[in-house]
Amino acid sequence: MQVSESLRIAVTNLRVHKVRSLLTILGTVIGVMSVIAIVSIIEGMNRYVSERLLEEGSNVFYVDKFGMITDYQEYLDAMSRKDLTVDDARALERLSTSILVVGSMSQSRNDVRYRSREVSSVEIRGVDEGFQPANAVEVEHGRFLSREDVLRRRPVCVLGADVRDKLFAGLDPLGKEVRVGRYIFTVVGVAEKKGSLLGMSQDSNVMMPITAFQKAYGSRSPVMLMAKARDQESLQLAQDEARAILRARRKVPFSKPDDFAIMSAETFMEMYKNFTSTAYLVTIGIASLSLVVGGIVIMNIMIVSVTERTKEIGIRMAVGARRAEIMFQFLIESLILSGTGGLIGVLVGVGLAVLVSNVTPLPAAVKAWAIGMGLLVACGVGTFFGIYPAARAAKMDPIVALRYE
Amino acid sequence: MAELIEIKDVKKVYHVGTEDVHALDGITLTLKKNEYLAIMGPSGSGKSTLMNLIGCLDTPTSGSYRFNDMEVKDLSDDELARIRNKEIGFVFQTFNLLPRADAAHNVELPLIYAGIPRVERRRKVEQALEAVGLSERARHRPSELSGGQRQRAAIARALVNEPSVILADEPTGNLDSKTGEEIMQVFEKIHHAGNTIILVTHEEYIARHSGRIIRLMDGLVESDVRV
Repeated sequence: MQVSESLRIAVTNLRVHKVRSLLTILGTVIGVMSVIAIVSIIEGMNRYVSERLLEEGSNVFYVDKFGMITDYQEYLDAMSRKDLTVDDARALERLSTSILVVGSMSQSRNDVRYRSREVSSVEIRGVDEGFQPANAVEVEHGRFLSREDVLRRRPVCVLGADVRDKLFAGLDPLGKEVRVGRYIFTVVGVAEKKGSLLGMSQDSNVMMPITAFQKAYGSRSPVMLMAKARDQESLQLAQDEARAILRARRKVPFSKPDDFAIMSAETFMEMYKNFTSTAYLVTIGIASLSLVVGGIVIMNIMIVSVTERTKEIGIRMAVGARRAEIMFQFLIESLILSGTGGLIGVLVGVGLAVLVSNVTPLPAAVKAWAIGMGLLVACGVGTFFGIYPAARAAKMDPIVALRYE
Repeated sequence: MAELIEIKDVKKVYHVGTEDVHALDGITLTLKKNEYLAIMGPSGSGKSTLMNLIGCLDTPTSGSYRFNDMEVKDLSDDELARIRNKEIGFVFQTFNLLPRADAAHNVELPLIYAGIPRVERRRKVEQALEAVGLSERARHRPSELSGGQRQRAAIARALVNEPSVILADEPTGNLDSKTGEEIMQVFEKIHHAGNTIILVTHEEYIARHSGRIIRLMDGLVESDVRV
């Protein structure tokens, strides 16, 4: 028998039971849809994050005393470690051959005021002169903080673009005095806009000399170092050198692990990939659950359909349909059911991904392999769960089937 | 010339619960090409069982049934399906047309399973519908046809693959006598065109259309009379 005839029969039967067919494929639709939507969103985020991390400069690495904290005990241990200092930054610059420049930074949050205007909970960064080159901060207006500012603990600051916009709104901020907490700082520069990363602004900050920061917020606030390697190739060497220098300076015994942590863009990327691969697994788990349920629904409806059409099966057998042809006919039918479900799922999933990337900061990248896999799995489910009903149809005794009313 | 159908001491036993029911209890009969045979008998006499056996829908418990010189017992399911497709045309009391397909498609069905190309199928369907006088109603579904028209469609379906034998099981059972008579005329016509026909009926006046009447009783041939 021709495949076209099987297709014709299947499509006719599905059209006769439109609502039933639609309900039948709902599980498959939802399964495929969630796979496509979530894979698209995760892939989009992956691409976005890796692009942004590379943009940040892949030859920069970070050193602090915390590293990746995953539980409270680790946090307590890390808190009891010695702080990194601006002197460590200078020592790294002096002693390492592969490190170009090192910046230091301490962070806090505070309200920033200019006359009657106020921006609350701004990120306050105490930085040294190495911060600008290491972090690729561009100054749009005025100048960045200098070595003198740091050494003399001058009360000056550089504003992030958002803070400038909110406090000064068109006025020239240079030379103006802003109040950060209880202290007054003179604005010497405005940093260029960096945009937002995953919906979080990178421009809502105020940078001041780290010495002034420590006076205002205490010298015990943790310092993070940012080191820029000479180039991409020497990044690993630079990290090794930094490790050796810091271990010596902090007098870590040979047998003890580091009491500080070195992180690079790669470290972040790895951590991020770890996280998303877990998300992938969870998604695939949930989706396969709904696909299995969807498959069982298809099987159930196909059994009903086979029973309803017992007489038809008898007639077809009487006029010469072989058992394999009956089997094939019903398999095609469940394949079309699940394939249609897969197709609708792909369309809805892609639509959802596009919608999400349009109305939220989450980007989405629709992947061809995800669509292909979604369709393939849907068809596979239909075929697998169609085997039992189809075999049941094919096994029928033509005499009994013909007598069926 | 060899016999078309050769049945020798065929028995068919059904197991109903713990009891064995002998539907056929040793039947012997032969049939030549172009014969027109009527099988009669009260219900429970084994008519239907015999029809199913001759139609290769079923196989005997014991004995020998040779169709076109092939021992049916030795055939596989697929070979039986092929014989039903190419060599046998069924006409049922309840027509047994596919309700969602029009008359032409119902007639086309055996040709589809025979793997005949579309163009040739269309030609054969037209011929068969012409032969039963149903060309005008080809595009109508069974629900839009009268009982007589439905049975004509079913006969066209039985004819379309040019089978060796047409098996008609009470073909007038669901029709009024006038329509039944018309249908019998159709059978007469196709018999004259050279077809072999086996007719199951319990109506004497229907059986009289045939050339030979076999009466069954309790799974045995009671009489075999040429008219």
